[in-house]
Amino acid sequence: MDPQNLLLCAISAAALDLCVLVLIISAYREKSSAKKRWQKISADMELVEQGASYQLTCDEILIGRHASADIRLSDMSVSRYHAMLGVSDGVWTITDLGSKSGTFVNGVPVKKKILHENDIIIIGSRRLTLRKRRDTKK
Amino acid sequence: MSNPVSFVFSSAFVIIAHAAMLLNVYSSGQFTDVKDFAILAAAVVAMDIVVTILMLTFGQHAHTADFILLLILGASVIFQSCFGGVSFAKKHFITCIAALASCRVGYLLCRDYKWLQTKKKFIWAAIGIMMIVILTLTGSRSMWIDLGFMTIQPSEFIKPLLILACATSIQEQQNKHKILKFDIVYENLILFGIVAAVCLLQWWCRDLGSIPTFAAIYASGFLLRICYPKAKFSTKTLIFAGAAVAAAAVVGIMFAPAYVKERLFADIWNDTSGSGYQQTQALIAVADGGWFGKGPGKGELCNIFAHESDIVFATISEEWGLLFAVMTVLMLLLLVAIPLVNPPRSYFHGTMCAGVCAAFTVQMALNIFGSCNLIPFTGVTLPFIAEGGSSMATSGFMAGMIVAAQSPVIRKIKPKKSAKTAKSRKKGGKAA
Repeated sequence: MDPQNLLLCAISAAALDLCVLVLIISAYREKSSAKKRWQKISADMELVEQGASYQLTCDEILIGRHASADIRLSDMSVSRYHAMLGVSDGVWTITDLGSKSGTFVNGVPVKKKILHENDIIIIGSRRLTLRKRRDTKK
Repeated sequence: MSNPVSFVFSSAFVIIAHAAMLLNVYSSGQFTDVKDFAILAAAVVAMDIVVTILMLTFGQHAHTADFILLLILGASVIFQSCFGGVSFAKKHFITCIAALASCRVGYLLCRDYKWLQTKKKFIWAAIGIMMIVILTLTGSRSMWIDLGFMTIQPSEFIKPLLILACATSIQEQQNKHKILKFDIVYENLILFGIVAAVCLLQWWCRDLGSIPTFAAIYASGFLLRICYPKAKFSTKTLIFAGAAVAAAAVVGIMFAPAYVKERLFADIWNDTSGSGYQQTQALIAVADGGWFGKGPGKGELCNIFAHESDIVFATISEEWGLLFAVMTVLMLLLLVAIPLVNPPRSYFHGTMCAGVCAAFTVQMALNIFGSCNLIPFTGVTLPFIAEGGSSMATSGFMAGMIVAAQSPVIRKIKPKKSAKTAKSRKKGGKAA
């Protein structure tokens, strides 16, 4: 291959590389906008319990004692798969998964219930509160 | 559109990358009539522009996966048009358009998983129908249905269906039934049955190259299943699964047909004109091409059977150089890595992306390592790059699944009004 063609080949490979780089940067920019969109979908809520806070980062969150639970509560009063939190259109719902000790929202036993801000969820002997996420950076 | 700047830059750079490749074809490609090159250039640039304009009307939140697909497909058309002399690969261009359309269908079907989960039984039925089609129409030693004007490989269509079957049933993981001392999830057994039946069918058709892809799809679904809803592996289950896979592989090799055993233990350099012909020629071509290749259309591998499909990696290496061939693989890897950059927000989409990633990665590995003699030759195609309508359409659909995970629709399913409440409302209305 003569030097001119070699140079052109190198230029086209570099253009392809550059395009891939731009697409990677674009993917990261989309990540931050997806995060903002998720905050809107999830109403920017979090679950808190005596100093500990649990981020609600996907649309199904399992609460239980099992190691695979999203929110793991290591307490024998909590069932292994105790309850499931779900979100749709900014509305969080809790569903009891047939736990032994039951799930209570504001003191009322529930099977499935729509949650509101500052609702108190009692799971076994644990007490969790659903509230607006507070930015820890501030 | 949430990122107009990214959109403009992505579309511009995709066109620039294709233009640079076309410039390379123009300057160092082998063509007799400049018209051939002009048609190719016009087709690729037109595809870029039209798809970009159409993307504006789609109303998606994220477009990067679409742009990566467009970049790969444009490059694929240029590669395929240059094999053995520059001439527009019309058939391949049409299949690329089909892949883009299929991607759109995949996105529309998979973006709202709550809706899709209610259609689970249709997915199982579709797999069943495809299996019956294979049983009745392809025959025991073939994987193709010849329609006269085109051939179809029905087993390709099972791949996205299997991914959807894995993803739609992941929520059932919580629905355990106590049988004797075991917690059984019925859908796990159904899924295992489906995969086992599909693999047996592939064995019957002698399409052994597809079995690792199906196994990888199921394995990714299985891994996510045993650690649902969040990654926490059960060591015992993993050891058991690993041992089962190893035992299955040993039994598979023991009872493999004679030609498979021959391929597994063959020394291709001892039989360069027989069973090792394609692989030796492919390896020589890769070495001949070097870093920057001989030039588009100047390769000799185009005279070898399946140069545009089974050994396409070697053909690209020879004409465009190893640099371009590696970049092609990187582009494909980037497409499957998108869910790692922007993780899906639901387990359904996570499982779906894992399935697509497994399928594409295994297919890439089988094709590239096969043509480089690192593993036996399987004849599996390189997604989006190799020629083949069925493969293109299904790969496009699977890319659509990735796009759907990036721009999902999370909405509430409206509860169905029961007949009783509807009647009572009517009565109440009349009384008022």
